[in-house]
Amino acid sequence: MRKSEATGIIGQLELRTPGVRALYMVLFLLMALLAVVCVFPFLWVMVSSLKDIKEFYRMPPTLIPQTFNIEKLGEAWNELRFMQYYSNTLIMTVGSVVFCLALNGLAGYFFSKLKPRGSVFLFTLIVWTMLLPNTVGMVPMFKNIIDFPILHLNLTNTYWPMWLMAGVNPVVILIFKSFFDNIPQSLLEAAKIDGATKLGIFVKVMLPLSVPVIATITIMTVNAVWMDFFWPFMVLKDQSQWTVIVAIYNMKALMPIDQQYITLTFAILPPVVLFLFFQRYIMQGYTFSGIKG
Amino acid sequence: MNVIPDTSVRKPTPNPNPIPNPASAPSLQPAPKPAASRILRYLAKEWSSWLLVVPTIIVFLIFAWQPLVSGIYLSFFRTEGYSAVEFIGFGNYVDVIQNSVFLQTLKNSFVYVFWSLVIGFVFPIAVAIAINELRRGKSFFRFAVYFPNMVPAIAASMVWLLLFQPGENGVLNMLLSYIGIGPQGWLQDSRLTIPLIVATMTLRGFGGTVLLYMASLQGINQELYEAASIDGAGVWRKLFRITLPQISNIVSLMLILQISGVFQVFGEPLVMTEGGPNNASMSLMLQSYFYAFRYFEAGHSMALGVITFLILMVLTVIYFWLDKKFDKEA
Repeated sequence: MRKSEATGIIGQLELRTPGVRALYMVLFLLMALLAVVCVFPFLWVMVSSLKDIKEFYRMPPTLIPQTFNIEKLGEAWNELRFMQYYSNTLIMTVGSVVFCLALNGLAGYFFSKLKPRGSVFLFTLIVWTMLLPNTVGMVPMFKNIIDFPILHLNLTNTYWPMWLMAGVNPVVILIFKSFFDNIPQSLLEAAKIDGATKLGIFVKVMLPLSVPVIATITIMTVNAVWMDFFWPFMVLKDQSQWTVIVAIYNMKALMPIDQQYITLTFAILPPVVLFLFFQRYIMQGYTFSGIKG
Repeated sequence: MNVIPDTSVRKPTPNPNPIPNPASAPSLQPAPKPAASRILRYLAKEWSSWLLVVPTIIVFLIFAWQPLVSGIYLSFFRTEGYSAVEFIGFGNYVDVIQNSVFLQTLKNSFVYVFWSLVIGFVFPIAVAIAINELRRGKSFFRFAVYFPNMVPAIAASMVWLLLFQPGENGVLNMLLSYIGIGPQGWLQDSRLTIPLIVATMTLRGFGGTVLLYMASLQGINQELYEAASIDGAGVWRKLFRITLPQISNIVSLMLILQISGVFQVFGEPLVMTEGGPNNASMSLMLQSYFYAFRYFEAGHSMALGVITFLILMVLTVIYFWLDKKFDKEA
């Protein structure tokens, strides 16, 4: 047992027998093939968007491009006003992250540390909300957005609905709660003796101790906001408010195919870059949410 | 006759048992105060805690609970725009069920689930186990498998739409022509459309499932395998007797989540086929969306939503019943 990590069903000794050895090779090849299937289609679209017009429309299409026309990207970027969509998406992302961390974090703190009587009931209600399929709420939710209760505001063409929705994510509440559960109560008691309020304890004690979970949730939220389609599509009707995903969907019928490839590249590249840089945090999200399983 | 045991409890003898007896605790306290003052005391102590979750509760109300309740309520009304006009009992339900598309849509939703189980259920388990066995490149394969998850669903659907173009110019048809197979209709072929949509959904989502399974596989005690090896168990035997039983809990959780999730499928067919060709890929939720936002019949949309909800509840109950029964027999 040289490495404790790299062990599973196939033991080190078994690997030397020819049968198992062959099985292992087959597995390896299959996984390599799978990796190609997973990555190739998206990579191909991105790379193809670089081909010049002549090569792009050549039949049959080339698998590996022979021409690289970077200028085309810049032209499409300006012509289709992608700067606007990127900055819209950024605004939506920042707001969503703020609401997601603040509201879900406070809820996690409430359920993990404050736990007043009656909080268990509320917690059950929230978990149930997560489990119930939401097949009925689409229309009433839309109604609430175009005529916000009590205030009677029309929130279409604003980012408020998405920001607020980011603030009520039962999964994130669960992740926060289970992380806070591991923070010793004695730290809170000490702060209380020093005269800190409940909110003060949250800001000064809980949050600084929760940097890893906050990082993971931030990355997850950034990614989720970038991909979010349905509600932005329903809410952001005005072209000047579109996010990138809404834009590529709404414009797809109007564009020649080579521009579609370019816009798809614009939509795919940022999350992929995010993944390359923050892979660890995203993978960690699965460990944090592992409590579900 | 109550008196005698009661006094014996109240005797101020030192309790030798350090754990307080919860049953006797209330009787030790002075007479209960009136309810009002108890509530006041509770508020005085906890108002600040509740204040911290008031925003969360309000947002939950507006975006989760109120829509659910009012959706069920509205499904019994004739609607104009998005408001109730007149109570019509089960009128919307009758309309929806009698619509000629309903049976096809219902069947399609089950077909989606069927194909997602065929294509997407065993597959991530096998991949997770396989990657877990690899001695080299584990993190690369994990990365590759998770990669499609990072591509926005809409963009991915559009990529597939481009690749699945029918006719000889489609990329996949071109690839097929190299191995001597004629051009396919792909999504335009009513027999292929659901399996293909499910295949793209699987490719998009299975990486996350693989990661969950891998986390679970890492948790298996290595000594089990070693002990089995010493007893002469081969690879397959270890797979079926140790690995699979050890991860069976999470597998069964993923199964019900997958059934419930796929039954509500809606974004992918919306983008890729809009329910076509000829309703061959129309799902219940997509139909509900069309009722609400294309035909502007909100009442019908919510009636269909309630029907879908009830079917899912029945499926879930059956699932848990089977699960329990299976557990007992196993």
